[in-house]
Amino acid sequence: VFSSLTPEFMDRLGQRVELVRYSPGEVIFRQEDPADSFFLVRIGFVKVSQVYAGGEIVLAYLSRGSYFGEIGLLAGGSRTATCTALDHVEVVRIQAEDFQEMVQSFPDIRTRLETTAHQHLEDNKMRIKNLRNLPVDDFLSQGLMEAQSLLVLDLDRCTRCDLCVKACADAHDGVTRLIRDGLRFENFLIATSCRQCRDPLCMVGCPVGSIRRRNSLEIIIEDWCIGCGLCANNCPYGNITMHPFMVENSEGAAQEFNKAEVKMKATSCDLCHDHPEPSCVYACPHDAAHRVEPAEFFAQIARDKALKLTTKEPSRRAG
Amino acid sequence: MRVDQTHRPWLIGTAAALLISLAVYATVAVRFREIPRGGSPLGLTFGIAGFLLMLFAGLLGLRKRFPVWRVGRVQNWMRAHLWLGMLSFLLVLLHSAFTLGGTLTTILMMLFIGVTLSGIYGALLQHFLPRILTVEAPMETIYDEIGVIREQLWDESKTLLEDLLRQGELTGNSSKPISIVESPTAQVRVTEVDEQSASALRNFFETEMEPYVRSPRSKSILAEPALRKAMFKQLSVLLPPERQPMLEELEGICEEKRQLDRQAKLHRWLHIWLLVHVPLSYLVLLLAVVHAFMALRY
Repeated sequence: VFSSLTPEFMDRLGQRVELVRYSPGEVIFRQEDPADSFFLVRIGFVKVSQVYAGGEIVLAYLSRGSYFGEIGLLAGGSRTATCTALDHVEVVRIQAEDFQEMVQSFPDIRTRLETTAHQHLEDNKMRIKNLRNLPVDDFLSQGLMEAQSLLVLDLDRCTRCDLCVKACADAHDGVTRLIRDGLRFENFLIATSCRQCRDPLCMVGCPVGSIRRRNSLEIIIEDWCIGCGLCANNCPYGNITMHPFMVENSEGAAQEFNKAEVKMKATSCDLCHDHPEPSCVYACPHDAAHRVEPAEFFAQIARDKALKLTTKEPSRRAG
Repeated sequence: MRVDQTHRPWLIGTAAALLISLAVYATVAVRFREIPRGGSPLGLTFGIAGFLLMLFAGLLGLRKRFPVWRVGRVQNWMRAHLWLGMLSFLLVLLHSAFTLGGTLTTILMMLFIGVTLSGIYGALLQHFLPRILTVEAPMETIYDEIGVIREQLWDESKTLLEDLLRQGELTGNSSKPISIVESPTAQVRVTEVDEQSASALRNFFETEMEPYVRSPRSKSILAEPALRKAMFKQLSVLLPPERQPMLEELEGICEEKRQLDRQAKLHRWLHIWLLVHVPLSYLVLLLAVVHAFMALRY
């Protein structure tokens, strides 16, 4: 959206913007407040919600790189929604006069912002008309929105055969990296398996650098893991487990006898990076296991619910 | 597995194959003015085709034994098993000319009917029961862990009982201890648990709760939500208000136990049919080989 900003303008703007931090749960601005700033999200997640006759509805979750606050500024009035920090949020705040200068100096930016804002307003109207609020807030404290990939089991299809667990174990030297238990959201189970977090706390402090992210999504633990357990302790969701492995000892006095030792190593889901699809998903006989991106997944649930409500409404009226 | 719109291509394919088979069968029957027997060229074709489809259906067990093999998604194998299995039964019926024949073929057909019916039964269970399990046992755990969870619930309930009956620790303002609340508007509060009430609670715990929570299958009024609620309501009058949350936790433990029992039962229903279906299938395959040998040899 902001690609047409000139370097000079950006330099000038850079000296006038503020970097503001918000704590989890802190309200950034409320619905009906006067619109006085535009925000760019640097770190964290922001919940956008709106109060309507039936209560409060969550309209969106914004992550790093998103922006908000433009609707109120473009309309020249008050805020149309409440924005709240879900976790530790850092935003770049651009004051209203600088924002107005920007959109006046760069009309294409104004056009793009207005188009997007108009679409958002239409979507919000439709959501409020059809949608019940999803009880997702409870799960945000568990960091689901921090995840880039969740292993989700549709419990309405799952026959609890555990073939996903067996497949995972077969793909990883007999040690499963998923546990078919965890949070439940409606008829979905969020299995205990690495979520490939945006901010992987597990990687902090590894003394040998064996836990790392490759060029793609997955976090892997290399063979030189020394089994200190730091990553397992750091993971807030219990998705890394320590497991004993037999390791051939090629050093010291035992070398002559090639004696194997038992060493602890950390294990976690690596999305079966050497296959096109994770083994658990591939092996599920009932189409119940899926790796999903959480924002899309929850949004799809919301859309499906809205569709069900709209298709039910005519029959209720007729009744 | 849920039989949903993803099965439509398989349904259409199976129906098409069946219609074609019936058309050929009817054509030959009309042309030669007799029902094609099992040993006729057409009968043999149907028999071989049916047997090959049975063999393929039987490979599902092998496929599941090695789930990481990249030879097609297991859910596609499952759909193929379901529909090609059904088709094999229908082809074998055509092969048999709708007769039972001798002793071996009669037994074979009976077993094959058993396999097909048990398979259909299993498919129906897998279609409906997962949803029922999701709704009726929201506290479900991994099936093999139910025993462990049960013991944990028991340990938790023992600790709760000890806390419940502990004397001298009050969460609210203390006042003169009186054991019985005479009316809802009484000015005095029950602040400690007297000996009589403690004894009643311990008795309930030992005679009702312990056998119920510890046993994998026990008949108890605690298993009936309405009766359990009534019982705990009676017990609540024995306790001061500060201790009610602990009693509610005990009730929660009973509810969790009830859900675990329900989960165990539904899990058995979901899987026990395989004890019939799988052995029968292997027996049918074996007897089919014997039948083929005997029929062709003699």
